Amino acid sequence: MQNLKLEATKYTPEINLDPSGTISLVGKSYPENTFEFYAPMMEWLEEYFNGNAADTTVVNMEIIYFNSSSSKLFFDFFDLLDENASENKIEINWIYDEENESAEEAGEDFIEDFEDLNIKLVQK
Amino acid sequence: MDINNIQKIVEDDGIIFLSYGGYLSQVLISGMTEALEKEAEDNDLSIGSSSNIFTIFIELSQNMMNYSKSINEKETGIKPQGLILVAKDKDLNYYIHSQNIVSQADKDKIEPKLAEISSLDRDGLKKKYRELRKSGAHTHEKGGGIGFYEIAKKCDSIEYAFTPINNDRYYFHIKTNIMTKKEQ
Repeated sequence: MQNLKLEATKYTPEINLDPSGTISLVGKSYPENTFEFYAPMMEWLEEYFNGNAADTTVVNMEIIYFNSSSSKLFFDFFDLLDENASENKIEINWIYDEENESAEEAGEDFIEDFEDLNIKLVQK
Repeated sequence: MDINNIQKIVEDDGIIFLSYGGYLSQVLISGMTEALEKEAEDNDLSIGSSSNIFTIFIELSQNMMNYSKSINEKETGIKPQGLILVAKDKDLNYYIHSQNIVSQADKDKIEPKLAEISSLDRDGLKKKYRELRKSGAHTHEKGGGIGFYEIAKKCDSIEYAFTPINNDRYYFHIKTNIMTKKEQ
């Protein structure tokens, strides 16, 4: 499987999907067409979990702020991880600045929504 | 057009960070967000408060870009334009106003959501937001249908009004208030 790497723009995060087991999203997220923008990432993940996953998958998410359609997309992203969590070892780090209460709260919400996922809040 | 009218608004309603009226595009919204980031930095706003301001600004602007209608009721397409204003008062309360033209059908969709939001307390709002996000009940091609709930979560109060223009069009005004000194 190939890496999928997208550089950050003013309104989309840097995305780095590495089949050796690291998935990272860093930056802001408010694309014009959110579902369209993230479609390649979601497709990559489907393929990755379809027999190509590493022994341990580490997900690092550091999103400073995001619009509501990105919030929905991240929910779907966690949902996809959740579907694959029983057969794969997945560790998720939700990284936020200590002053950014909104980002912290967003992480807490995802933890509550996905009780079976191993999501850690990581303060910078 | 008298520029002193704008000066008067500035003096009466506090310091205006940014005001814009007209055509909206993604690049323009992103440029204005960058200007807000600069303002937030210059005013030493906490990352928490400033990211709330950015999120609400983006949410309102993208709403207007995606859903605004022409004043002409015979035109059914999207006319991506509107008015947006970010201001603060001397107590460091921030206000974001937006105004755009919506159809009767838009109003019928938006108004019950906003009425519901006003009736909910903080926990109720959080619960509803997560419920809707999970169920995808309002999800459509452009979003999760949770934008107003997102805005409400990130501000301290919302006021809104629909002013009739003609048989099928309204000015939709929404004002959000973000207090940055809550702990004091």
